[in-house]
Amino acid sequence: MSMSSFLIIYLCCLVTMLLCRCVPLLALKGRTLPDNLVRALNLIPPAAFAALVANDLFSPGMFDAGLWQGLMPLAAAVLTMVVGYLRKSLVLCIVVGVGSYALMMLLL
Amino acid sequence: MSKSETIKTAFKAAFPVMMGYIAIGLPCGIMESQIGMNWLMAFVMSMTFYSGAGQYMIPNMWLAGAAPLSIIASVSLVNTRQTLYSASLSQFCTGCSKRLAFLFSATVTDESFGVNLAQFQKGGWDAARATVVNICSMTTWALANVAGVVLGSLVSVPTALASFAMTAIFICLLCMQKVDAVNLVTMFTAAAGVIIYKLVGLSGAAILLGAVAGVAVGYLFSTALLKRKGEVA
Repeated sequence: MSMSSFLIIYLCCLVTMLLCRCVPLLALKGRTLPDNLVRALNLIPPAAFAALVANDLFSPGMFDAGLWQGLMPLAAAVLTMVVGYLRKSLVLCIVVGVGSYALMMLLL
Repeated sequence: MSKSETIKTAFKAAFPVMMGYIAIGLPCGIMESQIGMNWLMAFVMSMTFYSGAGQYMIPNMWLAGAAPLSIIASVSLVNTRQTLYSASLSQFCTGCSKRLAFLFSATVTDESFGVNLAQFQKGGWDAARATVVNICSMTTWALANVAGVVLGSLVSVPTALASFAMTAIFICLLCMQKVDAVNLVTMFTAAAGVIIYKLVGLSGAAILLGAVAGVAVGYLFSTALLKRKGEVA
């Protein structure tokens, strides 16, 4: 990648990123928001994390390398979810999630 | 609370995210070196643009021969979900200065959003501490990227395994949400939405569109519940 291509891609992506990251917060901060909007905003975290998890675990080509290859991350995810639900610990979830996935990759 | 205590509590909250960023930052740096980015480019990009998904997509698409304009459009589309976090976090920045609000909002990621939100909801948290969490995470991300560029092809990290560290973080953040009927409807709609959007080929916008569908359906559901209780006319 040449320096000029890099700069164009980097700077354009940076501008759109900063607009998405900063404009809503700066525009809404300090205002008293209507109850209905707050009710909608409070749904963002559960919606976003469910979306991110689903995005990581499911893709149209997930079983291309074989059924088991596609099921391994799902199995590790279920285990992580049990630990997350019971203990609510990020570190423990990383250890159990990555550990169980690695173990399955090694053994099977 | 003193300044050092502020930093200490924030560092403790940021620690799991920092671990995850080392795991995914290294392979990201390796990919960046493959398209000829040097350590300084990777560092500057990580400290300003600061996007895991984005910094994976740029080398991937470039190697696949995509045009700069299509790379910019795809990466920007994937990052539009940041608007949701930004709107959601605005409630907690009421008293803070414009400068802090800018610095805080400019350094939010999926993971640090979740960690900070959990702390804000627990109470005793403020924008200053949340910003320290963001900056600790961002610096770790940048250093891991630099290490990846410098080490280049000397090390090999299985990407699927490394990126599962992030999946595990998202799963834990999901598990920290309150389990009630409205949230469950929201979560299942969002997850199903993402799967459907990806199946029909809208991968780039799947996270945003799925999450928006989840919020919309969850909102309608909670309105119906409130109406039944007679709390909304």
